[in-house]
Amino acid sequence: MGASNLSSPAHFPYSLRTLSILSNSRHALSLSFNSLPNPTAIFLSASIKHRSLAKHRRRGLAVSALQKLSETHSVAVSSDSDGNFPSNSGVYAIYDSGGDLQFVGITRNLAASVLAHRKSLPELCCAVKVAVVEDPDKTALTEAWKAWLQEHIAATGKVPPGNEPGNSTWVKRAPRKKSDLRLTPGRHVQLTVPLEDLVDRLVKENKVVAFIKGSRSAPLCGFSQRVVAILENQGVDYETVDVLDEEYNFGLRETLKNYSNWPTFPQIFVNGELVGGCDILTSMYEKGELAGMLK
Amino acid sequence: MASRVAISRASRIKTKLETALQAAVLEVEDVSHQHAGHAAVRHMEGGAQETHFNVRIVSAKFQDQNLVKRHRMVYDLLSDELQSGLHALSITAKTPKEAGIDNSN
Repeated sequence: MGASNLSSPAHFPYSLRTLSILSNSRHALSLSFNSLPNPTAIFLSASIKHRSLAKHRRRGLAVSALQKLSETHSVAVSSDSDGNFPSNSGVYAIYDSGGDLQFVGITRNLAASVLAHRKSLPELCCAVKVAVVEDPDKTALTEAWKAWLQEHIAATGKVPPGNEPGNSTWVKRAPRKKSDLRLTPGRHVQLTVPLEDLVDRLVKENKVVAFIKGSRSAPLCGFSQRVVAILENQGVDYETVDVLDEEYNFGLRETLKNYSNWPTFPQIFVNGELVGGCDILTSMYEKGELAGMLK
Repeated sequence: MASRVAISRASRIKTKLETALQAAVLEVEDVSHQHAGHAAVRHMEGGAQETHFNVRIVSAKFQDQNLVKRHRMVYDLLSDELQSGLHALSITAKTPKEAGIDNSN
């Protein structure tokens, strides 16, 4: 029952990309992204200009491509419901015991986010609506999030409390400020030891190191993003190194490929050993093998 | 070889893996279009063409090899491709037994 109520790709004939018209709505919502340690979730807070509400209603037609919030079935959240949510990317809406919408969020893993919210805020997390977003790049997810928020705002005139600017109810921990590690003081500083030795020391002195493209707060490739999301989800302490940083990690890509005998990025090391790339990390994560290794 | 340019990378990958791994199942899917906006390939000449592939292989040669070794086997076989513009591979490497198509017993 619960699972069959969830929207699956089969119920989702149109790609959310078709909603791009909404992104042109300057009056709509101002968004702020926080990347969080919390289960792969991207939280957003919204502020709204009320005079533009009428416009949202007129634009409402475009929203019909996405499953509407009001037409999505709500599923009661309990320890029994954990298996009922897909682990896909998507948008979700959380309701309290009075049936009031508390928060609309988007995530790379619906099941993990719902579980995390249920555990951290059981008193506010009584039922949830979820919709899988197909082809889920950041834009598509944001559009889905906007569509649901706008629908709710159009219907009630209110922003869900959890989405009010500055409300951190659903964002318990502050955004992680941890920064990416740099291997060198700068590309024009002569190294006294070979870069390979620096890599060797780095992976041996830190339990978990992910060499990624882009920074941990803004990975520049989908595979790196998934790696960061999985490690965040595991709640482990880990270091990241941006292999695209030509100033502080100059020459790292070639050095690392040779060091690890692995030709692509991202690369994840645990206890100085190469675990593999995104595929292997994902596979271990899905089989539940990762937690044991990261302990 | 003059003909080499005309053969797609997908078919070269397929041939190389097929020969070396005697794969029971071998699927090669060009997903470069999904990465057209990718920072590393955006500025490549001609855009993101033949840069990203999904590869699914079932081979008895993966028996007793951990995932890192299996992926390395694939990467080693495709080192020429990796040096000539192949940017990323998503690899699923299973033994016939793991894939549920083991007919040997």
